[in-house]
Amino acid sequence: MDKRLIEILEEIQPEADYETCKTLVDDHYLDSLSIIALVAELEEEYDIMIPTVEIIPENFNSAENLWMMITRLKEED
Amino acid sequence: MPSISSYFSLAYLGLLLPLTIVVYAAAPQKIRRWALLIFSWLFFWSISGKLIVYLLFSILSVHHIGLWLSMLQEEGDRLLKAADRGERKALKAQCQRKQRMVMTFGACLHIGILLLLKYGPFFVLNINRVFRALGLHVNLTVPSFALPIGISFYTLQAVSYLFDVYRRKIPADKSMFRLALFMSFFPQIMEGPICRYEDTAGELWEAEPIRFQNLVFGAERILFGAMKELVLADRLNLLIQNVFTNYDTYDGFVIALSAVCYTLQLYMDFSGTMDIVIGSAQIFGVTLPENFRRPFFSRTISEFWKRWHITLGTWFKDYVFFPLSMSKPLKKLTSRARKRLGNHFGPLLSGSIALFAVWFCNGLWHGAGWHYIFFGMYHFCLILIGNMIEPLVLSVTGKLHISRSSLPYRCFQIVRTAVLVCIGELFFRATGLRAGFAMFRKIFTNFTLATFRDRTLFTFGMDQKDYLIVFIAVLLIFVVGLLQEKGIAIREKLAGKNLAVQFSAYYALVLFIVIFGAYGSGYVPVDPIYAGF
Repeated sequence: MDKRLIEILEEIQPEADYETCKTLVDDHYLDSLSIIALVAELEEEYDIMIPTVEIIPENFNSAENLWMMITRLKEED
Repeated sequence: MPSISSYFSLAYLGLLLPLTIVVYAAAPQKIRRWALLIFSWLFFWSISGKLIVYLLFSILSVHHIGLWLSMLQEEGDRLLKAADRGERKALKAQCQRKQRMVMTFGACLHIGILLLLKYGPFFVLNINRVFRALGLHVNLTVPSFALPIGISFYTLQAVSYLFDVYRRKIPADKSMFRLALFMSFFPQIMEGPICRYEDTAGELWEAEPIRFQNLVFGAERILFGAMKELVLADRLNLLIQNVFTNYDTYDGFVIALSAVCYTLQLYMDFSGTMDIVIGSAQIFGVTLPENFRRPFFSRTISEFWKRWHITLGTWFKDYVFFPLSMSKPLKKLTSRARKRLGNHFGPLLSGSIALFAVWFCNGLWHGAGWHYIFFGMYHFCLILIGNMIEPLVLSVTGKLHISRSSLPYRCFQIVRTAVLVCIGELFFRATGLRAGFAMFRKIFTNFTLATFRDRTLFTFGMDQKDYLIVFIAVLLIFVVGLLQEKGIAIREKLAGKNLAVQFSAYYALVLFIVIFGAYGSGYVPVDPIYAGF
């Protein structure tokens, strides 16, 4: 898991435990506004384009899933 | 065929639905899907007659544009595969531009038809008002169009299909009739829920045989929905009609009471219809998405909208809120604002622009009238203010040692949310924006309990017996809601009991509807409220 990703997540929402939590969206740790901030930050940090189709709970429910999405988008680019 | 006025009408519950079930059950698997499609079109035609051409045009165009998009995607993929690495980025952008143009054309075509038919007269009326205000003697002729049923619902389904094909979330459907059934399925075309292609199209086309368990569960849900409508929504109708039409003759207490009653009526009418719709679909083995999740247990307005008309909310979130907030200019704004204003207020600034668009569209979607737009803006402001003051509320409750998860605090939040919702519904039901403000003002300037003391309150459309029945029915629905909130599946629990218990429950519910239902002389059944949107 990328350390920087955890740092970004903790900056945006410090209340969740990103090592274990698998329900970040389902349990409302990440709401629509946090997702907007997160997407803007991830695009800048990893130089990727996150299309709207990727904005689904499965991709944002855990740090692990987020990292999988980032690596996939980097490969596709 | 007798006219079908709503899903509660005898023509639907006593004729069309049973007839479709019988034909569907008797037909072989390959014929069942066609039976559903034919009965769906028959349903549409029996209400809207020749206006069915609008639906057929939508099906044809959505099917064609979907295939066009798919062809462009395949062609683009082929070209990208053959291109050099250096050329790929420019080629990809070129292909995406073409696809975006086709998708935009399709979405504009469908939204354009909806705008023209539903909002054309409203727009022209307001243009004439602007001309008058400017002192110009120009008076455009206000057009008048007949609206096909469910146009606000099937148009959103059509647009979501095109978006999803464009985003490659789903493949374009080669079968026009599968797409036709997805768009025309009769239990849901008039009032939703607004379905997604990937959720229901396959199940509908599969046309599973009718199973006993589905038949029982579906019938139970239909019965519960009928109870909400016949015992509650219809009973409240006379009082609401009287007060909202002649609001100037009533005092603030009666107006406040009727705002609460209307909120209750709207919830019972719409959620009762959804029970019938989802129950009907369940009989055919189709799982439609839920539209309500006990909204009056919500602690905030944001939560309320995640529990009320869920499929409309998720549609606006997926096809308006995120595409707008993920657009390049707003992403840039988010990044900059977050650095200057912090993690809370930064995203809120750009999010509020997208949120404004969502609530403007949401208000307008409900109808062509300024009071509907006001209703949307009212909820936009409530959600925005809720988000803005959240850090302050956290700090104040922390300093006062108030536990935000304690029962009294949660009850306070639930009651506060319900009051705010009732105020919004007062404007929503009012005959116009001016009437809405006049009624709202009266609650504060002319509040008196005189009608309650001299008992004239019981002559405005509901007597003591009516209030008692409403109270008992609300209590029953509240208990059912409370059990569901605790995760108890009532129908499954009942299915596990012996037959005597099951039939006692059915008889009790049927008798409750027969004895306490508001039908016959002296009652005016409420028109299906959401079918008018």
